[in-house]
Amino acid sequence: MKTIFLVDDSATILLSISGVLTKAGYEVEKASSALDALKKFQAGVKVDLLITDLNMPGMNGIDFIKEVRKLSSYRFMPILFLTTESQQSKKAEAKAAGASGWIVKPASADELLNTIKLVMR
Amino acid sequence: MDEITTVFVTESREQLAALESALLQLENSPGDDDTLNAIFRSAHTIKGGAGVIECGYIVAFTHVVENLLDKLREHAMQPDGDLIALLLGCADHIGNLLGVLEAGAAGPDAELAAEGDALLARLQRDWLEGDGGHGGGLPSVPPVPLATSGGGAVESDCWHISVRFGADVLRNGMDPLSFLRYLGSIGRIVQLVTVADAMPPAADMDPETCYLGFEIGFASNADKAAIERVFDFVRDECTLHILPPHSRLEDYLALIAALPEDTMRLGEILVKVGALTQAELDDGLARQQAGVVGDDVAATAPLGEILVGQQVVQPELVEAAVVKQKQVVDRKAAEARLIRIQADKLDRLIDLVGELVIAGASVNLLAGRSGNGELVEATSLTSRLVESIRDAALQLRMVQIGETFNRFHRVVRDTSRDMGKDIELVVSGGETELDKSMVEKIGDPLMHLVRNAMDHGLEMPAAREANGKPARGRLELNAFHDSGSIVIEVADDGGGLHRERILAKAIERGLVQPGQALTDAEICNLIFEPGFSTAEKVTNISGRGVGMDVVRRNIQGLRGSVDVRSEPGQGSRFAIRLPLTLAIIDGFLVGVGRAAYVIPLDCVVECIELEPDGSTRDYVNLRGEVLPLVRLRQLFGIPGVPPSRQNVVVVQYAGAKSGIVVDQLMGEFQTVIKPLGTIFRHIKGIGGSTILGSGEVALILDVQALVQRCASREAQRADGGEGARAPLAAVAT
Amino acid sequence: MAARRKKNTDHNADRLAIGEDLTIYHAASQKSQFIDALVAASGHLDIDLSGVAEIDTAGFQLLMLVKREARRLGKEARIVAHSEAVRELIDFYNVAAEFGDPLLIPAQDA
Repeated sequence: MKTIFLVDDSATILLSISGVLTKAGYEVEKASSALDALKKFQAGVKVDLLITDLNMPGMNGIDFIKEVRKLSSYRFMPILFLTTESQQSKKAEAKAAGASGWIVKPASADELLNTIKLVMR
Repeated sequence: MDEITTVFVTESREQLAALESALLQLENSPGDDDTLNAIFRSAHTIKGGAGVIECGYIVAFTHVVENLLDKLREHAMQPDGDLIALLLGCADHIGNLLGVLEAGAAGPDAELAAEGDALLARLQRDWLEGDGGHGGGLPSVPPVPLATSGGGAVESDCWHISVRFGADVLRNGMDPLSFLRYLGSIGRIVQLVTVADAMPPAADMDPETCYLGFEIGFASNADKAAIERVFDFVRDECTLHILPPHSRLEDYLALIAALPEDTMRLGEILVKVGALTQAELDDGLARQQAGVVGDDVAATAPLGEILVGQQVVQPELVEAAVVKQKQVVDRKAAEARLIRIQADKLDRLIDLVGELVIAGASVNLLAGRSGNGELVEATSLTSRLVESIRDAALQLRMVQIGETFNRFHRVVRDTSRDMGKDIELVVSGGETELDKSMVEKIGDPLMHLVRNAMDHGLEMPAAREANGKPARGRLELNAFHDSGSIVIEVADDGGGLHRERILAKAIERGLVQPGQALTDAEICNLIFEPGFSTAEKVTNISGRGVGMDVVRRNIQGLRGSVDVRSEPGQGSRFAIRLPLTLAIIDGFLVGVGRAAYVIPLDCVVECIELEPDGSTRDYVNLRGEVLPLVRLRQLFGIPGVPPSRQNVVVVQYAGAKSGIVVDQLMGEFQTVIKPLGTIFRHIKGIGGSTILGSGEVALILDVQALVQRCASREAQRADGGEGARAPLAAVAT
Repeated sequence: MAARRKKNTDHNADRLAIGEDLTIYHAASQKSQFIDALVAASGHLDIDLSGVAEIDTAGFQLLMLVKREARRLGKEARIVAHSEAVRELIDFYNVAAEFGDPLLIPAQDA
């Protein structure tokens, strides 16, 4: 079973997205801050795909992606970030930090699952 | 209809409107790329949507139209008046097909199908020469596209996708394999050739760099945008070319030129993928080499001569394709910011806001009575917010009138052709907003006024020249906001209204008495009286058995008014005045006896106290002006004795002032208009009802009717020789 | 390292067996492994991929590289055993004919 790691400071988002993912048969790990997530990555959690918000208090999503990419076990893991239509400029920044792609909020369950299917190795 | 079909029909009607206006624009600027692209996009969007909802008859018809538009877009032919007329006809036909879909029928009836066939036949015969693939009847399968100036379309019915992944794709956590596998979910990969030519010898090869590219034959009903979207995440770094099924041979040659690999090898790959047959490849190259079109060229040029083809293909072609793709992306982004919702959801919101306004008024009332300062403060904040919500909610319903205006370009164009007149339509104020329900209802009256102006107002070119005017007549549509109303004007520079003829007719019909003194404006506005028509012959343009009185009645039904000003020989200007919305107004609450009335605040100029002299005359001196009075107590037969001090609310409508005499002034009040039941419809002076915060019913005064009542009373007095317009010195106050 | 190299005297060929995933995570070390084996091979290099549970595009590129490099060196690199994952990918990328190897699936995977 594929494991998706979800990072967002919004409990609502964590709940709604993880609901969709679990229903679709994915194992879901959650963290509500980049630092919490990073600790789990450093401990070597098994992850096939990371989905992270960009705007989070504490460590932001961009720095978080950069840190994750430094860890050798996650160098080539697909990373998606959550964004909105108005945040287009963030895309280039996040991609430069090592993100693979993005999910535009609000996304329907189909859009979400299709995007995951697109990048899941 | 299911939701997606509803959305498709709505979207397609919008696209058709855009298509039509772009086609008309094309008449003035035949080679404009933006216009041509807009036209193509509209047709393409309709076809794409029809494909999604699997509406075969719309796909089939639109497909042929789209082919032609594609040729226009690529400047393979020049549009002229005939072609534009034909395309307008095609747009109409698509509209009819949408109607069939809406009606839930399985397909167009025989008559409509024949009409479509006739249009397609004309497109094929006159403009898409050389196609034999399309027989009678609407094709269920898109017909084979046609020979173009640069060589025929290729046989392949697959999309061709050519992609070279960026070097960093693997490092960024992606695998081309995922994208290619994903393609399988929106179509079928018929053939795939892996191109690893970019991979250097082992010493220089970085195993984390991606060197691969793919040439893919792809069978899918998805549109190009959907296929492109698969590559969204790698688009910036990869080289992506997508050729639709039956692309022209030229396009493949351009592709070959654009790709980094050895030309000869690419030719072989394309043949291997099944995009081209060997014969097609050789043939296309031979044609290019010879620089001519036709079958007389030897089709035996060897593969090696692709190199020649490569030089012939212009790099601009490729660049243009990139720009085009970017435009599509930009447009998609802009569209994504719009939300489509059903009108009844919006209506429900407005209803609720209306209830909220009433409930809020009730809270305000109670808070005021309680004398609790903090509560009053809190409720006043709430009511400010409710007011903002009300405005925002109403704003949701506001649409620009421009779209309605634009429909008339077509009407004016067609009608003026039919009548042999030369008429230019000038539209301004298209950005002026009004309530959507109003927009829907104003279309018919507006159409009538426009047809009337073209038919009766504007003269034949010869007559105009004889009068020293330009042969080309000018028809104006204009809209603007004016003190809580929207004014829509229809103006022409034609002959103007014939006052003598109108007056003679009015006397003949008994509408006015001979010798009655009427101002010019009053005479002109007689044309709105029931049963009035001065047309010497009834034409099929405006003579549809509907007179100007119906126009006026329709507009009055929207709580609006219409009047006309006219200069003989210079033209006429019809002005429709409408309230901005039908749902909620700011009102001024007044009391007479125990009853409460609401006067729309937009109309209120000021309030004055009525001198308590006990007189019952129906005018006062307002700073040197005669102000006619309407005494509500008398008008509505309210029992009881008026208080010693009565008040006058000075109201204004369309320039005329009147004073409404009431017992009490109760202040401003937001109110939701509830229509009156049918039995009260005939009561003059009442426009609707509302519910007060206290739960009582208040009637909303129809200021327009009251002001007109005063005006007609004045006029009667004038007949009576009492000198209503007498100088004020004669009026004792 | 889970790879083995030995002389296969029967066929006068060197043999390289890969027992770990052929993915980007190991691509750098596997590249050296392939190229070293190829350089050391006398004429033929037999590659056994029956133990490869997972292969991605980076791994596939290495196979392309070793095939091409062998041709450049006048040698031959043959994939003599495919795991299901490898066979599937070679199939998807449509290079079976180009590779020219018999697509044999080891009994335990078949």
